[in-house]
Amino acid sequence: MLEATDLTKKYDEVQALAGFSLSVAAGEICGLVGHNGAGKTTFVDMVSGLLKPDSGAVLVDGVAPHETRGEIGISPQHIALYRPLTVREHLELYGRLSGLRRKALKAEIEELATAMQLTSFLERRAGLLSGGQQRRTQAATALIHRPKLLLMDEPTAGADPETRQALLDVVKQRADEGAAVVYTTHYLTELADLKASIAVASHGKVIARGSSAELLDGLPGEVRVRTTDHEYHRATTDPTAALLELIAHAQGTVESVELRNPDLDDLYRSLAVSDVH
Amino acid sequence: MSTETLRVPEPLIRAGALIKYNSLLRLRDPSQLISYLVAPMVFMVMFQPLYTKALSYGSIQAVTGQLMMFSVFAMSIVANSIFVEREWLTWDRLRASRAARAELLIGKALPVFFVLLIQQAVLIIFGWAVVGMPFPKSLWLLTLAMCVWGFALLGMGAMLSTIVRSRGDLFVACDVGALLISSIGGAILPVDLMPPWAQAITTFSPGTYGLSMLRSAVQGDVAGTLQPGLICLVIGLICGAVATFRLAHGWGRSHLV
Repeated sequence: MLEATDLTKKYDEVQALAGFSLSVAAGEICGLVGHNGAGKTTFVDMVSGLLKPDSGAVLVDGVAPHETRGEIGISPQHIALYRPLTVREHLELYGRLSGLRRKALKAEIEELATAMQLTSFLERRAGLLSGGQQRRTQAATALIHRPKLLLMDEPTAGADPETRQALLDVVKQRADEGAAVVYTTHYLTELADLKASIAVASHGKVIARGSSAELLDGLPGEVRVRTTDHEYHRATTDPTAALLELIAHAQGTVESVELRNPDLDDLYRSLAVSDVH
Repeated sequence: MSTETLRVPEPLIRAGALIKYNSLLRLRDPSQLISYLVAPMVFMVMFQPLYTKALSYGSIQAVTGQLMMFSVFAMSIVANSIFVEREWLTWDRLRASRAARAELLIGKALPVFFVLLIQQAVLIIFGWAVVGMPFPKSLWLLTLAMCVWGFALLGMGAMLSTIVRSRGDLFVACDVGALLISSIGGAILPVDLMPPWAQAITTFSPGTYGLSMLRSAVQGDVAGTLQPGLICLVIGLICGAVATFRLAHGWGRSHLV
């Protein structure tokens, strides 16, 4: 569905993308993670057709993004809503621009409003909504026409847990229906919840790609031992040996032992560190 | 006739949706238009005796002068309607939608163009009914002149909104720009009464051509309308082209101050 190959982009002296390649299949959720300035938003803008790469190519469903804009749903990083328009008017506007008409549009609005918990403030103007409600509204405008490719750029930033869960459920549902999803976030637990494959971006390119199991394989977990006197912890790929060693050298009486498997935060940290070095 | 032949083309539906929601945005923020309607009405009534004593076409100057001045102020309605798209980051969302550039521009431009026409029409009617301006000899000529002037204002306002770096810049550009364009253009002191050096610089103000065109149109002077009208049209086209280029290509990652 999405095929980006060797994209480069330079803003003045800043190399935003430096050989960025990523492919996402229909029905796949790809979690795109990386530090600020890694090139995630530039990549999303390019796939949206808003930016042209200096070199490289993007294909969405086999054609250039600007030729298939109606098949892409975009939820940008920043809130981009018309403050005097109501939530329903936003959904109607983006629905109509995407080809939805009358009954189909009305049905989609009702369904999405229920799924995204928008029903209670459908007639409220965007400028009067809370941050979480604005986030949901913005995401809903990206989902209204059931696009084949969903680009969600930090859609849950600053959102409360309820908002986040409602959005994640709808994104999962759309992927199950066959949509390809690119989901950028700093909340790595969301990607586990979405069962997303992971792409780690750093300095303008993807430096690791795979399922979370593949990427976590071989990474150290952590062992923590708390005694009456002190707390000991060690990163390790052999938790049993590390635990025995910590207990043997610990002072005081052992109060608790904790074994933590490697998670996406560890992956992110290890890749970021290795990329810098 | 089959149902297929009755279907409205998709671009028209999309442009229609954009016109509808842009009109809603204007209707929900009517304060600028109201003030730019009421203030010139007051000034027309105040200045009419003065202009009538000084000029043979005094009542026409009272009406068209204030109309020109406050229609230039209304340029800020155009500028503001586009500027908020930058401020609210909504323009890029529209650019990424299925709507073509032409549809986006039509959807944005038509509602504000209509606002500019309404303002001019209301002030002309007020001028005739209350201020004592003679009834226009040719309504089609006056309508044409109002459309051309509206187009020039649309182009200038749109260009301003796409090149300023902040809302403060926009206010200054619109307010100071409107005062300069209209006063140098003869809205307050008629060009005929200006000293020679001042008359020489009036050629640099679009207001000069706008006022001359509107006044000639009220008097039914076709040649006197078309000549300055052509200049207004060129101004509108040049400014509109700059604005269209900026709107079509977005602002990249440049941010407003």
